[in-house]
Amino acid sequence: MIYLLPHTISNSAKRFPAREAFRFGSKSLTFNEIEAKMNQLANLLHEIGIEKGDRIGIYLNRSLETAIAMYGIMQAGAIYVPLDPKVPIERTQFLINDCGIKILITNNAQRRNIQNIVAPNIKLDAIIGVKEAGNIPTFLWEKLAEQPITFTLPFSVLETDVAYIIYTSGSTGNPKGIMHTHASGLAYARLTADLYDLNENDVFANHAPIYFDISTLGYFTAPFVGGCTVIASDAHIVMPASLSQLIEKEKITVWYSVPLALIQLLQNGLLEEKSVSNLRWVLYAGEAFPPKFLRQLMELWSHAKFSNIYGPTELNQCTYFNIPSPPIGEAGIPLGKVWKNTESIVLDENEEAVKSGVGELCVRSTTMMKGYWQKPELTEQSFYRRKNNTNTDDIFYRTGDLVRLDENNVLHFLGRKDHQVKIRGHRVELGSIESKLVSHEAVEEAAVLAVRKKEENLELEAVVILQFDMEISEEELILFLKNKLPIYAIPERITFVASFPRTGSGKVKRSALKELLHN
Amino acid sequence: MNEQIINFIIQELHGGAEDLEIMAEDDLLGSGLVESMSMMRLIQFIEETYDLKVAPQEMTIENFMTVEAIVTYVESKNK
Repeated sequence: MIYLLPHTISNSAKRFPAREAFRFGSKSLTFNEIEAKMNQLANLLHEIGIEKGDRIGIYLNRSLETAIAMYGIMQAGAIYVPLDPKVPIERTQFLINDCGIKILITNNAQRRNIQNIVAPNIKLDAIIGVKEAGNIPTFLWEKLAEQPITFTLPFSVLETDVAYIIYTSGSTGNPKGIMHTHASGLAYARLTADLYDLNENDVFANHAPIYFDISTLGYFTAPFVGGCTVIASDAHIVMPASLSQLIEKEKITVWYSVPLALIQLLQNGLLEEKSVSNLRWVLYAGEAFPPKFLRQLMELWSHAKFSNIYGPTELNQCTYFNIPSPPIGEAGIPLGKVWKNTESIVLDENEEAVKSGVGELCVRSTTMMKGYWQKPELTEQSFYRRKNNTNTDDIFYRTGDLVRLDENNVLHFLGRKDHQVKIRGHRVELGSIESKLVSHEAVEEAAVLAVRKKEENLELEAVVILQFDMEISEEELILFLKNKLPIYAIPERITFVASFPRTGSGKVKRSALKELLHN
Repeated sequence: MNEQIINFIIQELHGGAEDLEIMAEDDLLGSGLVESMSMMRLIQFIEETYDLKVAPQEMTIENFMTVEAIVTYVESKNK
């Protein structure tokens, strides 16, 4: 019976022992091999001395080891915490202490960072993957080979126990650790497999790093259905020419990433002569896909189906919209509807559920988090409780996103509740100005910020990245907006930049952008 | 050429960090020694220093994953 995430590996190892589970460059792991390796890692972790529910950090670049680390940790009855090796050392040290991480799993490519992380205030029992790290005992990956390839848990782990903790990037305040259970991870795997009809013949392209939940399709769903996940390397992410080759060469059938990755491939003209006849699903999430780019891509890959996925990390995924045909015009793509085993309500300002209209989206689902790590009050604040007739509560997660529910029960994204600002008495949604800017042919990306000028007045400022080889003046762009938006929603200033500061998951870091503008 | 490129990475991309050790076969992006923004600067440096033009379709893992790969690529271009 499958009730813990590592059971998916063992189950697929029985069904398809010699099929590849994960591929990275020229290296790969069959289901048999990854089952053996996760057991060896679980044995090593118990030899080092872990207890149930201990947190173990994964400090790895994109690599095959990420899969072994995730499953080995969960198999051992511990909780994996993916860490971003690209963030400043102080943030990693903060997370190690905040989450009480006991062991770090890394590799030789991270040896320089590891030397800097190891400091007197960092208490770790062991580091796996480097030769030395100050006074902390270390184990090399090769050491795994000495461990038995079977493993038996010495304590009980239930599906409702925490399996992994993903930290938010902290673009809005302090980082929070989002706790997911084996049950929420498996619910996600089952729902995606059902919705997109995924099976053992699918080859998944994994573009996202493991600290971003888009990766759970490749890491959870693929082993669940017995498919193969091709992990793109960090170099692939930076080099679109190699990434487009990967889609062709690896015969990818399911692609899932943020829109930005696909836009970069389009912009560099790298997709035209690529044969991608195996591709059957293009899934995207994380941000809106500007219709002008989506149209181009859907026309180019006309044989593939496209789906817009939405869901905060607290819910992993909750809605989907399968896009029937290339979008006409510049209207945003709807969020669609919630998937199976999930309920959504839209709450207005008085906390009343509306039948249609605008409000905050709240969702309850089997994919929902257990709560925020060591923040019970924050967890409770993020929930909306509705009394049901058994005199218990239905618990919804408040997404903080404003949506419009239309008469066909389709959800449309309006923006973050906290991106809604009042300018001279008018309510303005920053996201809607951004999408108007991006609808201009010369604009690749736009961010609109509300900046506080002189005490009480908020002013709008836009920051824009232009398309390669395109030019437009600030005046022309403002004139363009004036034809589309009310006067109070027109930014006072438009600044052109070459790139945006981004979080680890590729989202625009608004706080850093604000600082950039005013220094 | 190895040294010239490694020197650029240390001096220009890491503000002259003295204790930074880079091997010709280190995975530049996987290890975080070079990130997407600094990759663009590295390519610009290579174009200027070795008097060549890197076409978008040549910006691949095979050519830019390690210092070693870059050297092989530059040598093949300047033949």
